[in-house]
Amino acid sequence: MADVKLNNIKKSYGNVNILHGIDLDIKHGEFVVLVGASGCGKSTLLRLIAGLDEITEGELQIGSELVNDLPPAKRGVAMVFQSYALYPHMNVLKNMSYGLKIAGKDKAFIRKKVQQAAKTLHIDHLLERLPRELSGGQRQRVAIGRAIVRDPKVFLFDEPLSNLDAALRVQTRVEIGKLHQELGATIIYVTHDQTEAMTLGDKIVVMNQGRVEQCGTPLELYQHPITEFVAGFIGSPKMNFIAAKVQSIEADHLVLRLSNGAITKAFVDVTSCNLDDDVTLGIRPENLSEDSDLGERISASVSLVEQLGEASYLYLTLSDATEMVMRTSGESTTTIGETIDISFNAESAHVFNADGLALKRHRAGNTKSPAELARLKAIA
Amino acid sequence: MTTIRAKKAFPWHIVFFLGPGLLIYLTVSVYPLLDTLRLSLYNEEMNGDLTFTGLSNFSKLLFDVVWSDPFWNATWNNLKFFVVHMLVQNPIGLLLAVLLSSPKLRMRNSYRTLIFLPTMLSVVIVGFVWQLLLSPLWGITENLMWDIGLGNYFDAWLGKESSALFTLSLISVWQFVGLPMMLIYAALLGIPDELIDASVVDGSSAWQTFYHIKLPLIMPTIGMVSILTFVANFNAFELIYTVKGALAGPNFATDIMGTLFYRTFFGFQLQQGSLTMGAAVATLMFLVILVGVALYLFLFQRRVQRFAL
Ligand SMILES: Nc1ncnc2c1ncn2[C@@H]1O[C@H](COP(=O)(O)OP(=O)(O)O)[C@@H](O)[C@H]1O
Ligand SMILES: [Mg+2]
Repeated sequence: MADVKLNNIKKSYGNVNILHGIDLDIKHGEFVVLVGASGCGKSTLLRLIAGLDEITEGELQIGSELVNDLPPAKRGVAMVFQSYALYPHMNVLKNMSYGLKIAGKDKAFIRKKVQQAAKTLHIDHLLERLPRELSGGQRQRVAIGRAIVRDPKVFLFDEPLSNLDAALRVQTRVEIGKLHQELGATIIYVTHDQTEAMTLGDKIVVMNQGRVEQCGTPLELYQHPITEFVAGFIGSPKMNFIAAKVQSIEADHLVLRLSNGAITKAFVDVTSCNLDDDVTLGIRPENLSEDSDLGERISASVSLVEQLGEASYLYLTLSDATEMVMRTSGESTTTIGETIDISFNAESAHVFNADGLALKRHRAGNTKSPAELARLKAIA
Repeated sequence: MTTIRAKKAFPWHIVFFLGPGLLIYLTVSVYPLLDTLRLSLYNEEMNGDLTFTGLSNFSKLLFDVVWSDPFWNATWNNLKFFVVHMLVQNPIGLLLAVLLSSPKLRMRNSYRTLIFLPTMLSVVIVGFVWQLLLSPLWGITENLMWDIGLGNYFDAWLGKESSALFTLSLISVWQFVGLPMMLIYAALLGIPDELIDASVVDGSSAWQTFYHIKLPLIMPTIGMVSILTFVANFNAFELIYTVKGALAGPNFATDIMGTLFYRTFFGFQLQQGSLTMGAAVATLMFLVILVGVALYLFLFQRRVQRFAL
């Protein structure tokens, strides 16, 4: 089976180190999403897996075979590029059959394969067209089709949706998800869009400056980010961070004094904490409430309101000038200039120590994937 | 509803901006061309008067042995000159461009400049230098060839009827190979990296990538290079004139349209110059190039498309 194993993969260009030892274990059929800020080395990692660039150090295994020195085609990988990279002088049919032709497959076989893939992707009426006669979404499908026909063990996608408009992006995202279900192939998917990451990934790998910051299921990353970076990266709008000091340490929670003077509780692992430690309180915009009845309260003034319809984002400023965002009901009548009391549940707080590492949360919600939930419910 | 349309003012600014260029183009390009065409239909009397003679200059040039032998000789030589450029200069230019665009190459800018350098030299200097280099009397080529054990193969290439034209063609190739190289190199650089990556992931070897992906995409540039070569070759003159003089020796072995025109128009040694016969040769040169370019446009350009990359 085509598991993909990365063992301490490093990459440097000259003496610039881009990747500093990546370890990843990808199971057959898994949909793994690489996310991270622009320039953190996602594309580089993907190109290493594809065999387009040479691995400086470390081992790459695909299907338990060491492939460091194999050319791309022999690795059984196919790649979909951000710009689609369709051959502009070949029609769709030729674009999709190119790889098979190079591999020396016979015509009838190629024809059958391409027809089949074209049907799956609903592009069978476009086979005679040149890429420039296609819309962005259609080009995207052809690019995916070109990957499918070769029956690769591993699909690599490099920001495949970033050139599409918003509506098409959502639609194609859903289709890629379905395609994964149908093909059951291993997919490694690079994106900087975290909705894509959350919705598509069985597993998300958050990268930061050439390192894997955290790797886990989408909900794991959302509920239990292990660093401040991951906490800030997953979730939109971004998690709010407020500087704080440890005021007192209880058995199952910390009492924090926030930079604006407010006192709050946080249910996290306290074993590594000392009194008066500098920490950061993290609280997601969606966990804040305008009702002041959730336990932990902060007073803030509203500096901007964004109304999205189903929700409104309030941009808040605390008395010590800390900026915060909260998500509230779309029907909220709060407006700019008001000072309001907001509150949150002590269970929903995240706490990060001075090194940016998270203290384990005790009482976080569901972290199970739909598949896992279905299985658990079936057993029960 | 009524609309009152102000009468549009005459667009003087267009005249102002186009005028100077148009004027220069008309006086130094269109007028001489038309006048040449006109002159080719006349005959010049001893006293300098021009009389209209229709196509008789052309029939002389094409069918009267005294004129047609040199004419067909020059045409044939010119064709050979062109073929050598097409078969040697452009393939080498293509090869150099491909090498230059190889990502592993270091010091590419130095190579590029060095190879392009002769193109910027005067043809006169190039011709003179090569004449010196190849001279059997004081050229260094012979010694050099002895030094590397090929001395027996040395010959007075420029002096022999059998090899003079070919040698001159190669000198011209040496000088101008930088042009196709630069044009094709630029075209190769225009191919997006992701396209090449895609073909590598699809399993093509470097050669297959070149043949199936890069070559079709630079075909328009290769076509353009070919037609530029054609026009330049059929207008060539300076190199032959510098190295072999207007007589294009030995025994007219290196005579091409340009040198034939020169002798016909200005006269040389025993030959009397003729305004009208010269114009007829020039007109035929013009027609040859016109037909060549037309063939290119209809047969090649139409089939080869440029692709937005
Ligand atoms: N061929 C190269 N030579 C030198 N540096 C490179 C090369 N390719 C990428 N880099 C550097 O590697 C880093 C990671 O790039 P990349 O993997 O493209 O990031 P992203 O996560 O946005 O896809 C960037 O800082 C980039 O400048
Ligand atoms: Mg990238």
